[in-house]
Amino acid sequence: MTSASPSIKYPHWQREFDAAVREGDPQSLRQRVDAAEAALFLRLQALAGSAGGHAELQAISDAMRTLRAIQKEKLGYPGLNKG
Amino acid sequence: MARPTPTKRVLLVDDNAVVRFFVRQLLESQPDFEISGEAENGSDAVEKAEKLKPDLIILDLIMPVMNGLDAAPLLKKLLPDTLIILFTQQEGSEVERMAQAAGIDAVVSKSQAASELVLKAQALLASIEPEHDPAKFRNAS
Repeated sequence: MTSASPSIKYPHWQREFDAAVREGDPQSLRQRVDAAEAALFLRLQALAGSAGGHAELQAISDAMRTLRAIQKEKLGYPGLNKG
Repeated sequence: MARPTPTKRVLLVDDNAVVRFFVRQLLESQPDFEISGEAENGSDAVEKAEKLKPDLIILDLIMPVMNGLDAAPLLKKLLPDTLIILFTQQEGSEVERMAQAAGIDAVVSKSQAASELVLKAQALLASIEPEHDPAKFRNAS
């Protein structure tokens, strides 16, 4: 057994993402979401050159969807007019 | 004596400072790009584009205040010759369709940034170069 938290499956971005999802202070939320988005973006760049990582890519896609919902619903980002 | 500029001026538009930093590093590693400015949302982009008159705008989709799809038509109206690449984490035909309707010239996924963005930007700029100024892209020694 390692000392790392067993709940952290994706150490490159999961802590930042979880912190954004859990953030209750509206003043800190934008910063948390930005940090999570940055971590996901940088991880995507690392994964782009590798063959595997399909499960993580799916997890990243899900995480991004959640962040977009937070941006729209809690941070007031404008939605996309699909007209 | 005025020298022809060998570089293309780029405006980076993304609400995330880390993404802007990454793209800046990526483009500045190439001799043919110069980052002329950065903007944090679509409204900021319109203001800065008017002042900076970039050759290329790298535009995020999801941003506060004004998103990329709403900013693109304003940018095109202001600077019809400026090329716009939508640089987004959203992918698929729906995004492509909306981007095209907004006057955006190309879409690049953020998941492919390192491999695709520079190539797409170079290809787009090269495609319009002959009609404008063939000497401009050549690096005068």
